Amino acid sequence: MSEFKLITTEECEAATERLLETGAKVGADSWQMRVKNQTPHCKFGEQGVCCRICSMGPCRITPKAPRGICGCDAAGIVGRNFLRFTAGGAATHSDHGRSIAETLYEARPEGPYKVNDPEKLIRIAKEWGVETEGKDIYDLSKEMGYIAMAEYGKVFGYQNWVSRAPKHTQELWEKAEITPRAVDKEVSYAMHMTHMGNSSKAEALIRQSLRNGLSDGWGGSMTGTEFSDVLFGTPKPVDTEANLGVMKAENVNIIVHGHDPSLSEMICEYADSKEMQDLAKEVGAKGITIAGVCCTANEVAMRRGVPMAGNFLQQENCVLTGACEAMVVDVQCIFPAMGPLSKCFHTKFITTDDRCQQPDSEFIRFSPKTAEENAKKIVRMAVENFKNRKPELVHIPELKAKATVGYSVEAIVKQLDGVTNSQVDVTGTTKPLLECITSGALRGAVAMVGCNNPKVRPDSAHIDLMKKLIANDIVIIASGCSAQAAAKAGLMDKEAKAICGAGLKRVCELADIPPVLHMGSCVDISRMMILASELAKDSGLNISQLPVVGCAPEWMSEKAVSIGNYVVATGIDTFLGVDPYVSGSAEVAGLLTDGIRDWVEAAYTVEKDIEVLGDKMIARIEEKRAALGI
Amino acid sequence: MATLFDVVFSGNDAVFGLTEQAIDAAIAANGAEKAVAFPNTAYSLPCYYGVTGTKVGTLGELKEALGVVKTLMTREKRLNDVFMSGVATALCAEFIEVLKYLDGAEPYEAPCYGHLADAIIRELGVPLVTGDIPGVAVILGAAPTAQEGVDLIKSYQAQGILVTLVGGIIDQCEELGYKTGANVRVIPLGKDVTAVIHVVSVAVRAALIFGNVAGGDAAALMEYTMKRVPAFVNAFGPLNEVVVACGAGAIALGFPVITNDQPTVDAVNGRVPKSLIVQEDVSKFNATSLEARDIKIKITNVDIPVAFASAFEGEIIRRKDMQVEFDGSRVDCAELVQTVDASEIEDHKITVIGPEADEMELGSKNSIVYVVKVAGKKMQPDFEPVIERKFHNYINCIEGVYHTGQRDMQRIRISIDAFNAGFRIKHIGEVLYSQVKNEFDAVVDKCEVVIYTDPAECTKWRHEVAVPTFNKRDERLETLTDESVDVYYSCIMCQAFSPSHVCVVTPERLGLCGAVSWLDAKATNELDPAGPCQVITKERVIDENVGAYEDVDEAVAKFSQGALEHVTLYSIMQDPMTSCGCFECICGIEPFSNGVVIANREFAGMTPLGMTFSEMASMTGGGVQTPGFMGHGKHFIASKKFMKAEGGIERIVWMPKDLKEFIADKLNATAKELYGIENFTDMIGDETVTDDPEKLVEFLTEKGHPALGLEPMM
Repeated sequence: MSEFKLITTEECEAATERLLETGAKVGADSWQMRVKNQTPHCKFGEQGVCCRICSMGPCRITPKAPRGICGCDAAGIVGRNFLRFTAGGAATHSDHGRSIAETLYEARPEGPYKVNDPEKLIRIAKEWGVETEGKDIYDLSKEMGYIAMAEYGKVFGYQNWVSRAPKHTQELWEKAEITPRAVDKEVSYAMHMTHMGNSSKAEALIRQSLRNGLSDGWGGSMTGTEFSDVLFGTPKPVDTEANLGVMKAENVNIIVHGHDPSLSEMICEYADSKEMQDLAKEVGAKGITIAGVCCTANEVAMRRGVPMAGNFLQQENCVLTGACEAMVVDVQCIFPAMGPLSKCFHTKFITTDDRCQQPDSEFIRFSPKTAEENAKKIVRMAVENFKNRKPELVHIPELKAKATVGYSVEAIVKQLDGVTNSQVDVTGTTKPLLECITSGALRGAVAMVGCNNPKVRPDSAHIDLMKKLIANDIVIIASGCSAQAAAKAGLMDKEAKAICGAGLKRVCELADIPPVLHMGSCVDISRMMILASELAKDSGLNISQLPVVGCAPEWMSEKAVSIGNYVVATGIDTFLGVDPYVSGSAEVAGLLTDGIRDWVEAAYTVEKDIEVLGDKMIARIEEKRAALGI
Repeated sequence: MATLFDVVFSGNDAVFGLTEQAIDAAIAANGAEKAVAFPNTAYSLPCYYGVTGTKVGTLGELKEALGVVKTLMTREKRLNDVFMSGVATALCAEFIEVLKYLDGAEPYEAPCYGHLADAIIRELGVPLVTGDIPGVAVILGAAPTAQEGVDLIKSYQAQGILVTLVGGIIDQCEELGYKTGANVRVIPLGKDVTAVIHVVSVAVRAALIFGNVAGGDAAALMEYTMKRVPAFVNAFGPLNEVVVACGAGAIALGFPVITNDQPTVDAVNGRVPKSLIVQEDVSKFNATSLEARDIKIKITNVDIPVAFASAFEGEIIRRKDMQVEFDGSRVDCAELVQTVDASEIEDHKITVIGPEADEMELGSKNSIVYVVKVAGKKMQPDFEPVIERKFHNYINCIEGVYHTGQRDMQRIRISIDAFNAGFRIKHIGEVLYSQVKNEFDAVVDKCEVVIYTDPAECTKWRHEVAVPTFNKRDERLETLTDESVDVYYSCIMCQAFSPSHVCVVTPERLGLCGAVSWLDAKATNELDPAGPCQVITKERVIDENVGAYEDVDEAVAKFSQGALEHVTLYSIMQDPMTSCGCFECICGIEPFSNGVVIANREFAGMTPLGMTFSEMASMTGGGVQTPGFMGHGKHFIASKKFMKAEGGIERIVWMPKDLKEFIADKLNATAKELYGIENFTDMIGDETVTDDPEKLVEFLTEKGHPALGLEPMM
């Protein structure tokens, strides 16, 4: 049996170097070059003390100028910036969820969008108090789609999903006055609060940051996740491959990039059709390869086993292979660099969403009503572009790793059922996982999430931390670009058990899982909230007592801050490897890293030394164990 | 509050302390040079050797070994530390146990076995592979009541599971007079908890023997035991920290522990899925354990008034316990499979012609002939003996019925208990019917059984039908030579146990386990075309004399997943065929005489190679090629193809007396045919002649043994 080996960061970097040589030949720009141009970064921006909310400024805080023109101090400015950052993320994530609700509303028996998991729809409907008896599933999906959309502008009360949280958590939220109301309301509220001449009290701003985050995690994102499952199927374990080597020189390569599965599902569906496969052969290709980038990759990988070409900082590399016929994007995390870059190659850069319109792209407006027609047009355009490929520019790095992905909460519970003993255990719970944790076989769990950020050597923090944690018998659940970093390296290969501690290795063998579990895209961090809630309910402990922490070592987007806020507010200590622009105010930083613990029993830790960050997480997990006497 | 980890660590510390004292005391009494060993094993202290790769021979070395054990006892809060502390506890137990064997002592007396010999493990290989023994239970401590304990043992026996006993459960068996012993697959090891090491030692040696795991490769060892040794532990409460520490060792090896001690386990949050399971209801231990270890029992419902299970295969019925017997050596008996046309028989019809058992006198000797008529589109007359050979096994699995011999020389006894339970002769028919249909369903569509007990009918059937059929088959077998057939078969039945071993089965070279002939392999291939026996063509000859074929090499490379590239059929020096470890015999070259020495598994003594069977056997096995050593079946010895490349059977210079006698007729016939030598076996040495190589040469010279005149093999 061959020794299990991870793909190293060095190997990935060497592959990137080789691609950049192609880029240099055709005069392409790259993020690596732009980082150089942008460094050093503005210190005031980095510390969060620059305010340009009104036109009296911009104001920036220094020891000599401790207040802005309106009199706002550093705490007020940093707090407002932090809240606005959160609001941006919450709005973005949640609006993705809203699009899914809209698609659900449009689902029809004849397609193109159908209800794939009717049981889940009925389960949610019952949770929401919607009558399901004797109702046609498509009447129900329309009704639920409507209600889900209405949640965004709900006049009174809290988000429906809140009822899923453990009772203790709900009480904490109630007491701290952060139970999330309508998503749009929380975003507007945040924008209003931070307008010139409103809140400047750090505590109030942070409180709303948490509430706005919660409206994302326990509102918009959860809507996105849950109804994506209803529409496209609840993920279950599926084998796939990851890294650039999944692109095939002899095939038409279509890269789907972005976040909303409504587009990518249709592209996959249509690329598989005989018509398009035949067309591909006609133009001289062997077939069509669809591969994903960013969270779209996560979505289609975990439902269809579609391979993952790469994560956030690998998007340009896909085009640099010279073998990308089309890069089809929907929303979020699309570099505006993609348009100009695609012009250096034959690649068609196709934008599809009104919310993400970029220069140098072909815009094909994609909507649920015309999805089929749109998708056909896009795939056809890509296939017909194969003949324009410049063979001398084609170079696909051979790197790729095996991965088993698709661990939704439902799938995890099913996997755990597999290790129960029908003579003594119940099924359908997280109890087997809890037994592994309380006995000490596993020390705990870490939710690894978040992006890439050039401030950190790409993927290295994700991978180094994961390696360290799994060697210490800590199981990882991962989503977003963190999940892809793991998949690309081989950490989602079941054989990765070889580099785990004895406890996690044994659990992986018995439960037949990889040590790093792919839970989905960034909206799917809501899955992690549900899992934490189930663990708390099944154990009778509070979420904050569980030896579980969250970590975003390479985060960069506003969405990540929104996520961080709801993860912490759910009671899970969260560890960041990049500072969220709050170092300019000791008060705000103090609240985030300590003060909010009084409200939500958890807080942030920011640590840029990744090795130390890992040690701190392990120490925190051991502290929680000690407190429980386990 | 103590955690599970704390308990394991502290149990480990306690056992370590005791071991240290025991070794120090032994050294004080006997000196550090004193030899220390378990009997009948080539693996020193097998567990310690398996984990570290170091053999221990003296008390001084044992003390050093204890220092090594100490290094395993790390105390980080990680499962690895717990596993290693469990392993350390097991090794300490092995040290304590081996001290009991100082000076060739026999520390265990009936019913306890203590240390088990290598030969027993090699015997267990085949049934473990075929699933005849679907699992190994280790029962530790005393059940809440003796009856519950015995009921549990009985439930495993009925499934064919090998049961080993440690501690109070042994007394409970004695208390209720429950029969134990290797022949009924219930092996009491010893009453001290440290005796559990004797079954761990079996698992470890299985890895060394069949798995080709190198001593010292602890990771490979633990992977082998976890994946391939279907053992589990039933530990009765109250558990103490020593038992918990031993349990950690078991779990490290992949063996789940099932206990009824809920308070102790829950006090330390000790439950771990599929590893440490609390089952408070002892009557559910069996089902819980099987599920935990993923053991599936092949259920064969046979409609008879007594139990039917492989655990009863070794049961012996003594004369005083016997209701009636049938004896082919005294009266006319036979067992026969006949291929007939489907229209001639009625499926599941069972007829007894002659008296039933209740019409026979108590203790009487009677005639019996049973004819199993089968029909099927894919049935071939060549499969008849294959099916027939299974009758011994089928009838033996009946509780209270005993069968030996074959063809027209079988002997059957029905016990008084079975008779009183309602067992009759017609039930033998029921068993034969259901098992033939069950096992040979791919070729047998219809099956009818006729049993004759009428003496005149028996005489007629034996002499007019059975014997002529047997003669015809023998003629067919004689014409079946390696040259006369177009294909050979691979057999990888053992790969569940010995992952890189492949047997090439030819008409003149049966599988080295002795259990798979060319006809068996052919039938197996017909029954399950994607199964363990695959056709190997022999079209591309490389060297006919050594039996090298490109086809064979390709097949071997494929089925060993690349572990082997070349195999010859007839040489023990050049690319010899590998073995799994469960071979009946091992031969190895004897340099003084240019010959080879053969030892069989049952032979416990010394050979002129200075090695016992176990030691010779440890030279090969696990799918490894070791030129100069080869495992094989007993019947291969008389084959004209036996090490043909090196000159054939005239190289045989020594073998144990019993084996020599067993094989004498055939071996002498072959020698006569090949070399014109009469009574060749008289020239072959045995343990009554000598086990010294020089004296052997003297003996051979005196007898004019042909090997002395042959080219040296090396």
